[in-house]
Amino acid sequence: MPISSFMGLQSALSGLEANQEAIQTTSNNIANASTPGYTDEAAVMTENYALTIPNGSGGVQLGTGVDVNTISRASDQYLNNSYRAQNTVASYASTESTTLGQVQSELNEPSSTGISSQLSAFWSSWSDLANDPTGPTSQSARQTVIDDGTTLAQGLNSLSDQLSSMQSQVAQQYSDLTGTGGELQSYANQIATLNGDIAEAQQGGMNANQLEDQRDQAINNLSSLGTVSYSAAPNGELTVAFGGAATPLVSGTTVNWPPTITSTPGGELGALISLSGPGGQIDSYLTDLGNVAGALVSTVNNLSPGTPFFNPSDTTAATIAVAATASTIQTTTTGNPGANDVALAIAGLSGGQADQLYGAFVAQVGQDTQTAQNNQQTSQTLLTAINSQVQSVSGVSLDQEMTNLLTYQQGYEASAKVMTAMQSMLETLITQVGAGL
Amino acid sequence: MERITELMTSQNTISNLNQQLNQLSATENELSTGLSINEPSDNPYGASLAIQLNGQLSALTSYTGNVSDGTAWTSQADSSLMDINEQVQSVQELVVQAANGTSTPAQLDADATEVNQLIAGIKQDASAQYDGQYIFSGTDTTTAPYQAGSNDAYQGNSGAIQRSIGPGAAPVQVNTDISQLLGNGQTVSGQPAGDGLLLNTLRNIAGDMQAGSTASLGNDLTDLQTNMGTLGQMQANVGAVQDQLQMASSRIQNLQTEVQTQLSSTEDVNMAQTMTQYSTEQASYNAALQASASVLQTDSLANFLSS
Repeated sequence: MPISSFMGLQSALSGLEANQEAIQTTSNNIANASTPGYTDEAAVMTENYALTIPNGSGGVQLGTGVDVNTISRASDQYLNNSYRAQNTVASYASTESTTLGQVQSELNEPSSTGISSQLSAFWSSWSDLANDPTGPTSQSARQTVIDDGTTLAQGLNSLSDQLSSMQSQVAQQYSDLTGTGGELQSYANQIATLNGDIAEAQQGGMNANQLEDQRDQAINNLSSLGTVSYSAAPNGELTVAFGGAATPLVSGTTVNWPPTITSTPGGELGALISLSGPGGQIDSYLTDLGNVAGALVSTVNNLSPGTPFFNPSDTTAATIAVAATASTIQTTTTGNPGANDVALAIAGLSGGQADQLYGAFVAQVGQDTQTAQNNQQTSQTLLTAINSQVQSVSGVSLDQEMTNLLTYQQGYEASAKVMTAMQSMLETLITQVGAGL
Repeated sequence: MERITELMTSQNTISNLNQQLNQLSATENELSTGLSINEPSDNPYGASLAIQLNGQLSALTSYTGNVSDGTAWTSQADSSLMDINEQVQSVQELVVQAANGTSTPAQLDADATEVNQLIAGIKQDASAQYDGQYIFSGTDTTTAPYQAGSNDAYQGNSGAIQRSIGPGAAPVQVNTDISQLLGNGQTVSGQPAGDGLLLNTLRNIAGDMQAGSTASLGNDLTDLQTNMGTLGQMQANVGAVQDQLQMASSRIQNLQTEVQTQLSSTEDVNMAQTMTQYSTEQASYNAALQASASVLQTDSLANFLSS
């Protein structure tokens, strides 16, 4: 049964090479231990085809060494999908909670400077005027009513302005994200480009681990904008659907731009739509605030004879304004200077419709914000838990790498030892046997 | 067995520490503001209740102002009526003396002059002002109720001036219609007889004294006593209003305490409880920091492999 004298050298060489590749993989893992989106890799070693040597009726199979035939990624598609779904939910909750938190701080309630205090001050000023409709200090009581009314009207104007500008900021954020050159397009382009690269690499029989990591990361980023679902083609390309739209955002290397975005895409975009859209949350707050202003205008004006106190045509929070002046305020319907029936009646509106509507509005904002904050916390906790599972599967464990390093290092050393042994065998053969010739 | 990776450990540590720090900072915020509701979302119902209670407190402060204003107004009325009463008593003494029939015409003349002076004094008392407003002119507070001199016609009206004295309480009238007492005086000659009220009666007395008709003074005395009855009634009414205001004032104080207590239990921090909570959270955060430090410093296998 003759075999080549150099065959052992080849086997040892394959061992050296395979262990070297494995050490390189380990080294790459260690280097990327903290890289976001990096997936733990492993050199998958397989035994080379055996050499069959006939031996009488049968034969023996002689191993010919080892080969690294692929570098695998420790990626679990099921976990990745769960992570993305939760990322979409968490991103929605976080956007909603942040924006509602801003709305809430605009209200500045409960405090001694919010609109509730301005309402109280307004009613008190009427009560003071009722005590002093004609005296020498009456002029200042009248001026106080005008001033407090103006402060209140301006308070409503400015809160309404702030809410409106927040609404347009949120809408702007939505168009920035979804517009040309925005994040959505950038992620879609990345995925499409990577699709092409990966397909090309796979066609050439290569692993595209690094490209797949990048594509996974891009899909993760996309999932924070809205819901993501995808299907893989045999050539490694992914068709990615976004936000529940029927037309996929990316099919192979093509980005379908401009994208179809449904009214409930989920994620950050979904939250932005539900906050700023027509009939959205900020809209409904503006309506609530408008009702406060409307109630104020109608209840006070109904009781004011002569010049209406508030401008009767401006009944929204954005426009409410005081029309009366210190000299046009009337404290009575009778015309008698000392009568205070009107001032008394208006002071009696304290705690009435406008106050109640405003209180309900604050409670509504508080309730919505609280719910959003709770959702944000819960979804963030879940996301951390799922991310932890993803890391458990795909992350780099240094202990494991060190153990692998040791194993491969020893494998390398042993292969080298085998080579030395082969060398000495050949030397024996050549010098001892050949010397006699 | 779950595989534990370095990134997993560090991310979990960060997330847990962050959560604890958030809680700690929320508690810290409560302690530093002294309020358990700093934003509506801390307690939406509580926040709207606090707003409502603050509104009530502000209204109660207004009511307190109304009551003290009403009290000042009625005190002024009370002292003016007391002055009027004294002067009417003086007239009564003069009439009793003159009716005896022992006074000389010169004395009667002097008495008549004194009565006329007292009439002027009474009219001046009726023109009392509070904060620049005539308190006995009804709602016509810029006009004096009676003019000096011989015109005894009432210049004011019968309007009521009211003060709101508490939630749910009917407004109380603080002014007094003095024309019910003083009337419109002597009618111009050739007109029907006067209204028989105080000024009319006093003018009759002065006239009868001047004319020396001591016999008529008997009737005048009866009229005067009727009017004194009206005056007494009026003083009693003012006293009743003052009592009402007094009661309203203590009722408002009780309400203020009540609302304040409710507000405090709604929005104030329970210091003992929150301090305890804070200490606990702080201790647990410190422990977490310590634990994290040693977890993150845990050696990997690399530290134990010889080179």
